[in-house]
Amino acid sequence: MAVCVAVIAKENYPLYIRSVPTENELKFHYMVHTSLDVVDEKISALGKALVDQRELYLGLLYPTEDHKVYGYVTNSKVKFVMVVDASNTALRDNEIRSMFRKLHNSYTDVMCNPFYNPGDRIQSRAFDSMVTSMMIQVC
Amino acid sequence: MSRQSNRGTESKKMSSELFTLTYGALVTQLCKDYENDEDVNKQLDKMGYNIGVRLIEDFLARSNVGRCHDFRETADVIAKVAFKMYLGITPSITNWSPAGDEFSLILENNPLVDFVELPDNHSSLIYSNLLCGVLRGALEMVQMAVEAKFVQDTLKGDSVTEIRMRFIRRIEDNLPAGEE
Repeated sequence: MAVCVAVIAKENYPLYIRSVPTENELKFHYMVHTSLDVVDEKISALGKALVDQRELYLGLLYPTEDHKVYGYVTNSKVKFVMVVDASNTALRDNEIRSMFRKLHNSYTDVMCNPFYNPGDRIQSRAFDSMVTSMMIQVC
Repeated sequence: MSRQSNRGTESKKMSSELFTLTYGALVTQLCKDYENDEDVNKQLDKMGYNIGVRLIEDFLARSNVGRCHDFRETADVIAKVAFKMYLGITPSITNWSPAGDEFSLILENNPLVDFVELPDNHSSLIYSNLLCGVLRGALEMVQMAVEAKFVQDTLKGDSVTEIRMRFIRRIEDNLPAGEE
């Protein structure tokens, strides 16, 4: 369902990025990069309200012709960005939300691995396979 | 007497995440301090041994188990009472050797390794080796020389964690064992 998943550190450098059609990788990197501006905008605009509601899901960041970009930001300002195919209209907001929650849980497990140094690129096999499962699931 | 009051048989609750992360921090620090994994394994075993020789006193005081008559009984007490008391798990005992001096403890889930993924450059690290040291140290204080080692580990891709225990001999002279 997702075609690209990225985890961005607080300082806006990528911790993890993977996309499904590997030949177009650069395009997705570019999309994720662009989306970070929207993320920043949303955080500063809704900043206060978001903190109050403890709402981490940012919703649709921006749609392009054939993709939709969704964002999620943790309380520690780590960003998750997900690109999905726009043709996939069956995908509900709730499902996106639960996918992000899954991603967040998995990220937490990575952080708890004593051999992982915070700030390094994520190379965990468990995280990788979780992302793969999110990408493969076709609905 | 005040000391005895907080030594009931009831187990105190603590956060398992805190425990797991503390152990993880310990192991990674050892990995930084020592050049190779064998040294880290040895150090973990030594630390475990020092824990074991102390922990046995606490265990005997809290559990009220009597003297074991044979090694099978010892195995039962270790799995059903000791592991339950300190780690909250009950490993199963299998693979007895015909002579009855060797058995395996199968840990379905090992609370020490939640979250842990071994990086490729630490392939010979025995992450939970502390447990072997604890078992060895504790049993030594009750006049049993044993050898404990990991033969399977979920961190290395096995489906379960298995600790192999081998009875070596009874320690006859009752001299207190020195710390290593």
